[in-house]
Amino acid sequence: MVELNLSRRQFLKLSGATAATLAIVELGFDDKRAYAKTKEFKIAKTTVTPTICCYCGVGCGILVHTKKNEVVYTEGDPDNPINEGKLCSKGTTLRQLYTSEKRLTKPLYRAPGSSKWEEKDWGWMLDTIAKRTKDTRDASFVEVENGITVNKTEKIASLGGAALDNEETYLLAKLMRGLGITYLEHQARI
Amino acid sequence: MTNHWNDLQHTDCALIIGANPAENHPISFRWLTKAKENGGKIVSVDPRFTRTSAQADVYAALRSGTDIPFIGGMINYAIQNNLIHKEYVVKYTNASFIVKEGYDFKDGLFSGYDQTKRAYDKTKWVIETTEDGKPVKDETLENPRSVFQLMKKHYSRYDVDTVTAVTGTPKDDYLKVCETFCSTGKVGKSGTIMYAMGTTQHTVGSQNVRIYAILQLLLGNIGLPGGGINAMRGESNVQGSTDFGLLFDNLTGYLAAPKATLPEHVTLKGYLEKETPKTGYWSNKPKFVVSLLKSWYGNNATADNEFGYQFLPKGNKNYSHINLFNAMYKGELEGAFMFGTNPVVGGPNAGKEKEALGNLKWMVAIDLWETETSAFWQTGAGSDPSKINTEVFLLPASASFEKEGSISNSSRWMQYRWKAIDSKGEARPDLDIIHELALKLKKLYANSPKSADKPFLFLDWNYGTGEVPDIDLVAKEINGYDLKTGKLLKTFGDLKDDGSTSSGNWIYSGFYPEEGKNLSKRRDNVDTGNANYLNWSFAWPANRRILYNRASADPSGQPWSKEKAVIWWDAAQKKWIGNDVPDFKAVTAPTEPGGTGAFMMNKDGVALLFAPTLNDGPFPEHYEPFESPVPNVFSSQQLNPATVIIEGDFNKKGGKAKYPIVGTTYRVSEHWQSGSMTRNQEWLSELAGHMFVEMSEEFAKERGIKNKDKIVVSSARGEIKAYAMVTKRFKPYNVNGKKVHQIGMPWHFGFKGFATGDTANRLTPHIGDANTMIPEFKAFLCDVRRAD
Amino acid sequence: MAEFVKYIDVTKCDGCRACMVACKNWNDLPAEHTDFLGSVQSHTKTTADTWNVLQYIEHENSKGGLEYLFRHSSCFHCTDAACQKVCPESAISYTDFGSVVIDQDKCVGCGYCVQNCPFEVISLKEYKDKNGETYRKSHKCTMCTDRLEEGLQPACVTTCHTGAMEFGKKDEMIRKAEKRVSEIRGRFPNTMVYNPPGVGGTHTVYVLAERPSVYGLPENPKVPTSAVVWKDYAQPIGKMMLGATTMAVVAGFVSNKLFNKGGHGHGEEGGEDYE
Repeated sequence: MVELNLSRRQFLKLSGATAATLAIVELGFDDKRAYAKTKEFKIAKTTVTPTICCYCGVGCGILVHTKKNEVVYTEGDPDNPINEGKLCSKGTTLRQLYTSEKRLTKPLYRAPGSSKWEEKDWGWMLDTIAKRTKDTRDASFVEVENGITVNKTEKIASLGGAALDNEETYLLAKLMRGLGITYLEHQARI
Repeated sequence: MTNHWNDLQHTDCALIIGANPAENHPISFRWLTKAKENGGKIVSVDPRFTRTSAQADVYAALRSGTDIPFIGGMINYAIQNNLIHKEYVVKYTNASFIVKEGYDFKDGLFSGYDQTKRAYDKTKWVIETTEDGKPVKDETLENPRSVFQLMKKHYSRYDVDTVTAVTGTPKDDYLKVCETFCSTGKVGKSGTIMYAMGTTQHTVGSQNVRIYAILQLLLGNIGLPGGGINAMRGESNVQGSTDFGLLFDNLTGYLAAPKATLPEHVTLKGYLEKETPKTGYWSNKPKFVVSLLKSWYGNNATADNEFGYQFLPKGNKNYSHINLFNAMYKGELEGAFMFGTNPVVGGPNAGKEKEALGNLKWMVAIDLWETETSAFWQTGAGSDPSKINTEVFLLPASASFEKEGSISNSSRWMQYRWKAIDSKGEARPDLDIIHELALKLKKLYANSPKSADKPFLFLDWNYGTGEVPDIDLVAKEINGYDLKTGKLLKTFGDLKDDGSTSSGNWIYSGFYPEEGKNLSKRRDNVDTGNANYLNWSFAWPANRRILYNRASADPSGQPWSKEKAVIWWDAAQKKWIGNDVPDFKAVTAPTEPGGTGAFMMNKDGVALLFAPTLNDGPFPEHYEPFESPVPNVFSSQQLNPATVIIEGDFNKKGGKAKYPIVGTTYRVSEHWQSGSMTRNQEWLSELAGHMFVEMSEEFAKERGIKNKDKIVVSSARGEIKAYAMVTKRFKPYNVNGKKVHQIGMPWHFGFKGFATGDTANRLTPHIGDANTMIPEFKAFLCDVRRAD
Repeated sequence: MAEFVKYIDVTKCDGCRACMVACKNWNDLPAEHTDFLGSVQSHTKTTADTWNVLQYIEHENSKGGLEYLFRHSSCFHCTDAACQKVCPESAISYTDFGSVVIDQDKCVGCGYCVQNCPFEVISLKEYKDKNGETYRKSHKCTMCTDRLEEGLQPACVTTCHTGAMEFGKKDEMIRKAEKRVSEIRGRFPNTMVYNPPGVGGTHTVYVLAERPSVYGLPENPKVPTSAVVWKDYAQPIGKMMLGATTMAVVAGFVSNKLFNKGGHGHGEEGGEDYE
């Protein structure tokens, strides 16, 4: 786990809110404040984890606030020198990647000719995918072409990966080339 | 990017062309705003007035597909007005090199062209060398066969009147751009060029980038703070995924994938000889290749079996995106994996790409959402499910903060993302999915005696026990080991070509120099000088923040100016010091051999104004897009002569009679790429919920279209419906005295998610750049009519 | 204590709209259906669920040049707030930061604040209670007063990357605004600080690139006389005479007659040029 140096004081300071903080200290809290007084402060008891934005190539830092297995808030990471706590509209809404009702939560399978998805378990899915991969590879594998060792299959393609982590792209490239796949492409091309 | 985001604040002028960072890389404007506060200027060159243009000091319109005339004219302007940084040009570029007889340029064609192959014989474009292989030079730059004189002659054709007649830029605006940006050629000033897909997505995309680089070299802007040539990457880790070899033609770290078509590649020895230059840093290539093979094949890689080189697949063609889908369209592919990618929205000629998917026997999609691609067989996609026999496996993937790992931004900074929460539902990290699939395949192939299975069986796959891989082991494998001691490597300088070291990606080697010290996790944000933040994360290579920073100092090793200093030679300490990691051998004195070779990755230590390596010529030359409403003014070559054309149904071409309007695509701030990440979120869908097409008031009036009308846009590939957005921000161009209209539209939309709309890419063609095969999304012909 | 204001320099805004979603994210506001408006602007104005809206304006300046103008538009937190004056339930009050907030427990959804706001930033939202009965509440930007109390800045300000928005002491911010206006007058001859005195000044201070009317802002907004009459005279008397709930019902009658009508909230005394 990362050691975050986010003591409240530093956090406030880095948010540039020193003036307001001092004012509060001068003033004390006003019990009679006239709105939402029963609401608990939104990020009072959250766990804060730094991440990097998943969208463009700027690489802004974002803090993810979680509480009871829910993402309650996301905001710019004031410690990250690239964005210094600032974000654009996409980075600001990172939270909804978790909260969106449209997130896929189960593996889905579509049989040939079918007009619907079926829920399947992970084991069956990966076993079947491995089998399909092997069948196609075995039937199409070329060891030698014009007298040259080529060890390839041109019947399987792998696309995508620009949103994956480096470690993931590394394993993906290694696995696909390891299987002999030549149709290996991702979004850098498009 | 040669430089980095924070460094933008140091620029005296940012020329933003082929990009709209205020919308697509908004935080760049945090630093550009600072630059402005420091007196810097912003120049926006774009077919339409964007949110970036709104923030610019100077705006100039250009018709899509005319970057080369635009910048070529600036090169001409800089040379004619003596605004170039001559000493920099003489010492740090190949301007003084003499080009051998045999090179010529006539009517749009360089020497060595073969019409039937649509390809050049590049051996006609050669630098004269002495007997010991050194380039012949004329440092006065007067020799008519010098690169400088040939270049000067080439761009003398790009005079202001011709240029603006082609680009459609008002002449005053054009001159203002020339004047503003070329002022950075002065010592003590620096200018940056920021670009993105508006530059690369053309049949001349590579040459567009090249011509930016030429201008920057002439102005002495490379290697300086606030300078450089800065590609703004569109995805959070498209830098990393490219570094790690997810393109058919590159293994990791920009090492070429072996080819069956090159006789030298038959053996590792031949491959290394063919691919390794004699001089420059790439002369170390065998160390990188052998270390990579050791990482991939482990103990199965030995000197006796060419370190497993023969296990690697050898392709015999170009397998890039367009060709991949063409093969799929023709039924040549059986299975496909889609890792968080959505070509049914994002691919060129997307209607055809959707059709192609129906020819697959099986497809695996790994994503956070049901995308238009994984749902291509549904009626919503215009498909008849009963007629599509593709088996589809859709695996739920974790979001970026539901797992841990590193990503590399445009500045090459490798930053770590920690896990904030367990994955939603049954979603799993891609790392786990790839790993478990590999284990299952290993099991299926276990003990197979077949020789065909050996390459896969010999693939080293040891990332801990169990279904979940140990990501730390992956990270360390990438960094590499000294295999004799088992210790992690501190730098790629320690790599060997004898099998005694490993490294999964040499350019990253050194990010994990010792146990427990993954430098991508560093969070020390103290400014170590000039906002380079050397202790924040890790930048490849070797934690360098400004590439080619040797060029920030003069040949004698002193900064060209105090204002723009990065590194300098300290005679007392006998090393290069400064506020960045030197992009140079730290102990090589300026007076030593190679001591002025500021571009050490290149063969002669200089940057290439004349680049005999590209497929379409050593100098960038203007050709019109695949589909254009006007003839090429510069030559009788209408289209890039080296661009591969796919004939037939897969790539229908439209003519200007039926499709007289120039179309282009772009993105909006609120959506990302194919929209699957953002259209599936409510807030962003609320902000930008509708597919629209932007057009000028003049054009709308001609066609009887009012703002907010429903319209139909058609091209030779298909048609789409959208709302008309009639705007003052698009104006008709005056192209050679003729009025040319252009429209533009976002390409984010599809039929899934909260915000839905027709897919712009149903209009775009299947034609690519002559070097990269990046599709020409940014300029095509279309027509517009009211929907009713 | 020093007064605080939200300073908005529209000439630094690049229109990214992070402020709009930062507000939603902090305040847990739901997304609304939005129609296509003919520009990239998402909402015509603020609503009960959208407390700030980014305006996009294509403006031809006096030289015929095109300006693409952006403005973060939300509650001004007037020093002399019409909404506060007309609220029959005293649900609207000033905080020590100068922000103007609506106490959701007290709001009865009568809508007078909505009608009387010179800037049209307050909206009503309809809810259903357990029994299926509908009731309404007024909503608008709170200046993230809950954050201010914890020493944080408003969510929109915190996320703004160009420095187009700042939160700070009023006198400092006004000085900053004045300085900025003098710096950019060459580029924007009509630039001005917008801090209208007719509403006693506001706690949102703008540097505008153009005249207020270009942004659809009143040149010289005022608290409607009727609101002054209501708050300072009629309402205190009424409250003495009737119970609070009854008062709201009566007020509905009175206020509809007394106050401004039509879609524009600036009242009889409102400024000109308000499009």
